Amino acid sequence: MTNHEHERAIDLVTRRSVEEISAGDAGWLESHLALCAECAEFAGLIESTGQLLRSMAVTASPVLVATTQARVRARAEQLREHQARMVLIAVSFCIGVLSSTLSAWLWWMCGSWVAERIGLPASYVAPGVLLFWLLPAIVIALLMLVFAHPVVEKPALLRPAGDWGGKDR
Amino acid sequence: MVATAFSSLVAMETEEAQIARGLRRRDPDLLDALIEQYQHRLLRYLLHLTGNRATAEDLFQETWLRVLEKGHLYDGRNRFVTWLMSIAHNVAIDHLRKRNPSSLDEMRDPEDGAPFEPEASGPSPLDMAVARQEHEMFGAALSQVPPLFREVMVLRFQEQMKLEEIAKLVKIPVATVKTRIYRGVMALRPALKGSAQ
Repeated sequence: MTNHEHERAIDLVTRRSVEEISAGDAGWLESHLALCAECAEFAGLIESTGQLLRSMAVTASPVLVATTQARVRARAEQLREHQARMVLIAVSFCIGVLSSTLSAWLWWMCGSWVAERIGLPASYVAPGVLLFWLLPAIVIALLMLVFAHPVVEKPALLRPAGDWGGKDR
Repeated sequence: MVATAFSSLVAMETEEAQIARGLRRRDPDLLDALIEQYQHRLLRYLLHLTGNRATAEDLFQETWLRVLEKGHLYDGRNRFVTWLMSIAHNVAIDHLRKRNPSSLDEMRDPEDGAPFEPEASGPSPLDMAVARQEHEMFGAALSQVPPLFREVMVLRFQEQMKLEEIAKLVKIPVATVKTRIYRGVMALRPALKGSAQ
């Protein structure tokens, strides 16, 4: 028998435990296993492994499940609050930029008029207008910094002090 | 028969699509239901991967938090369980990297006492005792198998995943999956021979 035949047999044995293989492949495999002790041994081992692994019962304790659900809910709430805050900040920023842009021309005219009235040099007009132009955005940013960061408590340590039922902890 | 298969396929697609929609909305009720539904399978996978119940339970919680945060990435085209296990796999890898960046083999806690012991069941006390002994032997042998092999064996035999699904989940070629299964099974050979005798 060639190495290729052994490789094919091992591949089919590995697949057939979970997936379906064609009738032709199954027939070929059976005839191969009847002749090859090594591959037949592997087929037996893989079957035993599968049976033993499937028979091993692992259960999550109700406390673990409840704790996880509570943590997930708390985190979901945090994420929702964060998302709402980000939307608020984005809307406020857009309104600030829009109002600043729309009023830029007005500020420029107003600044020029004031400078002319009080006899300031024309070079003062541009920085002054720029300051007034950015003023709404600056005010909004300052307000955001002061009020938009409520204290967000970290989720409490939700894991209880008691045992979770795991004997090999 | 074809109609039944088609209707079950449609039902599955609908269910996966519903899960995807719920995860995008971060629906807490859906997440509660998913945690309930997949609790044992996920814990079993993490337990076999880490070989330590406390670590597995921590990673169990981390996995669900990751599912919440990355839920929008699930498109509902693949089985949810495959996606869930891939999240769990990544969480376990991240955990390992934080602890020790060398290899998955380091996942077993050296201070962990007895290896994971599966629960046994049987119809009579004698059968139960024999089955328990066999399972203990097998569990002890399994805990000696490198986690890289153990992981694919669990996905294959307990989760009944196709080789291609495992390859996608663990991000390795199908040939490597087969090799790991082969080597894992062969590593269990002494224990399996012992329990057969």
